[in-house]
Amino acid sequence: MDKFLFLFSEGLKNLWRHKLTVFTAVFSVFLSLSTIGVLFIAEQNTHKLIEYMRSKYKIEVFFDGTVSNEQAEKYVEEIRKIPGVYSTTLITKDEALKVYSSQFGDDLTEFLEYNPLPPSCVVNIKRQNDGKLKINPIIKRIKEIEGVDTVNHQGRLIHRIESFYEQGLLGLSGIAFAIILVTVMIISNTIKLTIYSKKDLIKALKMIGATHTFIRMPFILEGVFQAVIGAALASALLYGAVVGANELLSQLTVFTINVEWMFLSWLFLIAIVISLFGSSRAISRFLK
Amino acid sequence: MIRLKNVSYTYRKGFGLANIDLSIEDGEFVFLIGPTGSGKTTLLRLMHMDIFPESGKVTIGEFDSDTIKKRKIPTLRRSIGLISQSYHLLDDRNLFENVALPLHVIGHNQNEISEAVEEALDEVGLAGLDDHFPQELSGGEQQRACLARALIKDPEIILADEPTGNLDPVTSFDLVKLLEEINREGTTVFMASHNYSLIKSRNHRIVEIHDGKLRSA
Repeated sequence: MDKFLFLFSEGLKNLWRHKLTVFTAVFSVFLSLSTIGVLFIAEQNTHKLIEYMRSKYKIEVFFDGTVSNEQAEKYVEEIRKIPGVYSTTLITKDEALKVYSSQFGDDLTEFLEYNPLPPSCVVNIKRQNDGKLKINPIIKRIKEIEGVDTVNHQGRLIHRIESFYEQGLLGLSGIAFAIILVTVMIISNTIKLTIYSKKDLIKALKMIGATHTFIRMPFILEGVFQAVIGAALASALLYGAVVGANELLSQLTVFTINVEWMFLSWLFLIAIVISLFGSSRAISRFLK
Repeated sequence: MIRLKNVSYTYRKGFGLANIDLSIEDGEFVFLIGPTGSGKTTLLRLMHMDIFPESGKVTIGEFDSDTIKKRKIPTLRRSIGLISQSYHLLDDRNLFENVALPLHVIGHNQNEISEAVEEALDEVGLAGLDDHFPQELSGGEQQRACLARALIKDPEIILADEPTGNLDPVTSFDLVKLLEEINREGTTVFMASHNYSLIKSRNHRIVEIHDGKLRSA
């Protein structure tokens, strides 16, 4: 216990002893985590936007003019069973006429003496939490159904939005991975510099019979403290920036940035893992 | 007991030690004399198991160079007090913290450490200088601090590598007398020096090393 307390206090004291290198490492962690945080917030909000757009995706199916309302009901039931279809709404011939009249002010039956409008159906697609939404197989299945005359959909637009989203996600993941890698290198090199400047200490510790763990521990703890400070600063910045941006946005638009603040604990975890990996890597090269 | 049996060691550049046989009994005080570059430090590094012989065997108490496991080396080093010409004191720690370091390594509590540091500093004549930093001490005081750090863990052996190398003759003489006092309490002392005039009048065994080979002195 005494040994652990000593090592812990040494780790803390090292922060003061190695001020300049500590500042560099904390600043790198702070910058990296702030960028990762911004990427995460951007991803979360883009996802919400995509979800909203997906909820608006719909397919309009027009049946043949000879199809009766009863037949249409059967076809709609078939459509509802297609995988990926969330809901279906049948618009009967009479309902279609009402919609037409309300939109154009004319009653078609007055001069045609019959209702020429076919029954139709609005199909809503199931929302997917991840991955690209594939609409084409659903369209294909609908077209195969007997009695279906025309299928209207926003397939190309949906495809474009989904592709953009998928590429964006991939890009964001790549950037985050690169940032993590660079941070590991920076922390590792910073600690390597610290260790190099502490050659005398390591030599003295080896001389008096310190184990490798004993020599290593203050440097590892120092790395963890640096990571925690960097993560705390990044969290404060992200929180302040989101609150400030929402304040501004609320005056201009109805859109606000939504953040699940639990992700900040992930930032701390990432920082600690990065620092542990970085410092262990640096020290093990020195204590061979 | 320290025993070197037919020990050889060669550095990459070619020089080193050849066929060294040496035996030092518990409680003995032995001087190692030889010119600069003759192999004194190499011999001490072998005894400290900082390097290992190419052939032959070094035995320090229960540990020997053939069979010692890497993780056991710190245990061996805790039974040896090493002092050298370059003091290896840590500039960012005061005298108290420097001397206390070996006890932190072993895991003593703060009260035991405070008591032992005061005792060790008193023994080497540095009482009252606890809060001084190495750069505020003279060469002689720094070497005494180094000795206090070696003594605090109550070592069975003291290996001294040219401890008087940077000291004036009077301070050097005082340091040798201090090592003799420690030796009288039962600690084995093996001191390397190139200053024959300093050690010739002391009544201890002297071994001479020259070009990596031992000679009787």
